[in-house]
Amino acid sequence: MNVSLQWLGDHVDFSEYSIQQLDELLTFAGIEVEGIESLPNHLVVAQILSSDKHPDAEKLSVCQVDDGSGTSRQIVCGAKNYEVGDKVPLALPGCVLDAGGGKSFEIKEGKLRGVDSLGMMCSAKELGLAADADGLLILSPDLKPGTPMAEVYPAVFELEITPNRPDCLSHLGVARELAALAKKSLKGRAHFGETSTPSRAAKDGEVSLESEACPYYTARLIRGVKVTDSPAWLKQKLESIGLRPINNLVDITNYVLMETGQPLHVFDLAKLEGGIVVREAADGETFLALDGKEYALTAEDLVIADAKKAVAIGGVMGGHDSGVTETTTDVLLEAAYFNPQAVRRTGRRLGLHSDSSYRFERGVDPLQVAGVSEFATKLILDLAGGKAEAELVVAGGVGEGPKPVALDHDYCRRIIGAEIPDGTIDGILASLGLEKVGGAWKIPSFRLDLARPIDLVEEVARVHGLEGIPSTTMATFSSASKADEAYDFLRAIQDRLASLGFHEARNLKLISGAQLADNFATSHRGMSPVRLKNPLNDEQDYLRPGIVPGLLASASRNEHFGRSDLRLFEAGRVFVASPKGEEIEHEHLALLLTGARVLRSWTDSKPKDLDLHDLRGALEAICPDGLNFVPIADGELLCACSIEIGTGKKAVKIGVAGIVPPARARELDLEAPVLVAELNLKKLMVTAKTEIRHADLPKFPGSSRDVAMLVPGDLPAGEVAAFFEVYDEPLLISAELFDVFTDPTGAKLATDKKSLAYSLLYRAPEKTLEAAEVEAAHGKLLDSLKKAFNVEFR
Amino acid sequence: MLAQLDTIQTEALAAIAGITDEASLEEVRIAFLGKKGGLTAAAAGMRDVPADQKKDVGQKLNEVREAITSALEATGADLIAKKDAAAFASIDATLPSRPLPKGGLHPLTLVLDEAVKVLRRMGFALAEGPEIETEWHCFDALNTPADHPARNESDTFYFENGKLLRTHTSSVQIRTMEKEVPPVRIIAPGSAFRRDEIDATHLSAFHQLEGLYVDQRVTLADLKGTLEYFFREIFGAKTEFRFRPHFFPFTEPSFEVDIKLHAAGRAAKWIEIAGCGMVDPAVFAEVGRKRGDAAYDPEKVTGFAFGMGLDRLAMIMYGIPDLRLLIENDVRFLQQFR
Repeated sequence: MNVSLQWLGDHVDFSEYSIQQLDELLTFAGIEVEGIESLPNHLVVAQILSSDKHPDAEKLSVCQVDDGSGTSRQIVCGAKNYEVGDKVPLALPGCVLDAGGGKSFEIKEGKLRGVDSLGMMCSAKELGLAADADGLLILSPDLKPGTPMAEVYPAVFELEITPNRPDCLSHLGVARELAALAKKSLKGRAHFGETSTPSRAAKDGEVSLESEACPYYTARLIRGVKVTDSPAWLKQKLESIGLRPINNLVDITNYVLMETGQPLHVFDLAKLEGGIVVREAADGETFLALDGKEYALTAEDLVIADAKKAVAIGGVMGGHDSGVTETTTDVLLEAAYFNPQAVRRTGRRLGLHSDSSYRFERGVDPLQVAGVSEFATKLILDLAGGKAEAELVVAGGVGEGPKPVALDHDYCRRIIGAEIPDGTIDGILASLGLEKVGGAWKIPSFRLDLARPIDLVEEVARVHGLEGIPSTTMATFSSASKADEAYDFLRAIQDRLASLGFHEARNLKLISGAQLADNFATSHRGMSPVRLKNPLNDEQDYLRPGIVPGLLASASRNEHFGRSDLRLFEAGRVFVASPKGEEIEHEHLALLLTGARVLRSWTDSKPKDLDLHDLRGALEAICPDGLNFVPIADGELLCACSIEIGTGKKAVKIGVAGIVPPARARELDLEAPVLVAELNLKKLMVTAKTEIRHADLPKFPGSSRDVAMLVPGDLPAGEVAAFFEVYDEPLLISAELFDVFTDPTGAKLATDKKSLAYSLLYRAPEKTLEAAEVEAAHGKLLDSLKKAFNVEFR
Repeated sequence: MLAQLDTIQTEALAAIAGITDEASLEEVRIAFLGKKGGLTAAAAGMRDVPADQKKDVGQKLNEVREAITSALEATGADLIAKKDAAAFASIDATLPSRPLPKGGLHPLTLVLDEAVKVLRRMGFALAEGPEIETEWHCFDALNTPADHPARNESDTFYFENGKLLRTHTSSVQIRTMEKEVPPVRIIAPGSAFRRDEIDATHLSAFHQLEGLYVDQRVTLADLKGTLEYFFREIFGAKTEFRFRPHFFPFTEPSFEVDIKLHAAGRAAKWIEIAGCGMVDPAVFAEVGRKRGDAAYDPEKVTGFAFGMGLDRLAMIMYGIPDLRLLIENDVRFLQQFR
């Protein structure tokens, strides 16, 4: 809401306050100042006394102006839209103007093409008064040269009023609030709660209320008005807060709205057929509103109608055909109270919002309705003439206003935690217009937000401010929660991955339907992805069921920026729905590797690409010992394997790893193999939480024997590893594969064979083995190997 | 005999002086000290030495052996030193290093970790809740009426079954109070979602850090002290901030916290950084209704809650101009944070 400082001045004298002080006063009242439009110092009204051609520049003129100082001032000017005698804004040296983009510039005395220029005459755009302007801003001839421009265009505050304070949605409301905080008194009345106009109940057929959404409706008939332009003061008021003057009647309703917060509407009586009916719309009823658009209504919408048709959407907008025009002479002035929920519902459904609906939605002061009607009627009679009917026609009624609220001072102090004296508490509440009656506080009718003791505590805390409240701390011990354990577990993995050269990514959790095909997380078999009902667009309509889709998009984006060697990881929440439709959330960790294994440098100018074994190495570095990669027929990933910890029945499947199908990778412009893995962090954490026990170090040395064997080229090394795993020989401590050799040319080795070389370690816990003992065990092992795989030893 | 030994010594030392490599070193050693070497042969002559001279000759023999041995050792050591020096002489120490891949954490992780470290020192434990939430946990229990604008389908992501993507981490307040009895002292970092088109200052999914402390005598002064400590730890002891009265449905009184930001070349300005307040008794009442007990009797417990945007915190702490950088994972951006 725009609030003009000059307009506020109608109610409270803030002349000794600077703009900054007012800004602070508003801010600490809980009213957010989103912007301030104010003109700078050293900017005055000047009258152009003469204008001559610049001797050396065709497009410039040399003007003598009266700046109010008594001596004329020379200004070089490029504009052409003025005449000698015009009054224009003049920036004097020292004036700081906004240059846009958060920058500013200071006006200085200088020369333009060799001619002295002691200031700058300004356009509306240069002063920030208009988005665009052609030439100088020509001011009213009534202004005196030397008058500060800040007086001609007073500051306007753009305020954000929180939804609990609809009473501040008017100049009077803001003035009332600021007066209380600044301990000032209002110049006039604080409220339109009283009226001297007699009222009478509507007769049959005059006004009938058929909906609970409108509990109270008043109509004032005024005949013989003359619709014309508004007087200058009214136009200026409306313009100062960005409203466009239309005609005196419409301007009065807008002015009164901005002054009091009570929306009004004026109907052309000649266009109404029969009395007013406030009713629910018929389903399918259409309505042509003032904005020129047609709206389809439903029974949820409230309309103001005459005997035949709707003439307004209650509290939202008047009709196109029933409004005031130049030919209007008799009018019906509506002032009513509409139920906030009903107005909000209709406004939201129709996407139709107005200054009126904004206020009704938040709640207007019902006790002010009749008083505001009287105030507006008087303005209409003053500015448009005519004669008002003596009585206000009233249908329905308003309650008695808010109920009194009792506040225990100790309760207040207990919540705030400061020793605020009783008198201070009472003083704050009284300053806000509350009245202590008996043991409770009588609440002003405009303070719809004050209903409970805590609401009064809030007022005390707000007005007292936190500055004067001590800063205390209370520490209690907290046990580590499961979330703490999970956080620490992940943090350790994050650090480990970072030191392995991985960068941590964070992708949006919303992905497209197309990206679902990139999901390889297998823990979700049988689950379905979760789709939003109201996505913003089809790029973000699913919640990610896995992290890899996002990482692939990130890899592709990096590729486009010229970075194709990537090690990325991401941890976070993923979402699936069970067959029963129940959403399940998991914490996942995903890794992506692609590009060169080492950074290209003089030490390795043609580094090899990363491959599946690099991915597995990284996984082993962050997972507990005993990690197994069990091939699975995935169908999507190449070389897909299930990542398992432990073997056999005790194996825990924690995730999946593999190579992204090259065709898909190429679609993403990723040429090198793309290795991905995705794991379930909770499962990983469970397996990692084994108790650590120290084991005695071997006391005696072991003996190692190397063996190289020829096996069929298609024999997976894992089968040999599995053989060693279960081979029953207490002396055999380990079998490490140290060489794999194939020869595609067939020269050194048949092309259908490969050579696997293992280093075998033999050791006894209680003694140093004799060579013969080692040989015996080793010989037995070789025999078994031969039987198992029909190998030849090299 | 003595003269012969002197001659051997002279010859040996001359030969040693001529040694140029390990092979010639070995040749010289064998020539004098080997089984058939000159000195070994001379030593064999000891048996022919008259008994009265044996002592002198023996002594001389030892002296000569010692002289030759130590000269050989010295020359050997010298040869190794020269070889070592030669081995490393070819290294150009001015070449660039052989690089290892460097990684790093996402700026949001860094910011969150900073915040978590400080808050844990203050005795807060972590808590979490689902991101797909019920309307009750996200709104109703937080005293947000059914027709509140935030509940519009234009502002909040919904699912067909009526659930929604939580619009704030405040729902974790409710999740925690459902399960645990006071004192409750938790922080809950996590994602929140709003139906905003993505631009430089908006993300449809963003990160928040929620805090909640409920106990018998928690006060607004405690809230003030806690947040002041927190922000001074994060932004420095001299950080200026202010508590501005504000409105949130689930706290009363409510405040927004601004810190004064001093960016180079610009006038210092107040930046909103957190929302906070005393838990509204209506929230306790609703939690109590759900729990069916009096653990959160609004007459007995009070509490404070706060929430802040981690993305915004990261923007301020690192001078990040555009929120989209936080979700694009451009390595040129990410590598600035290691």
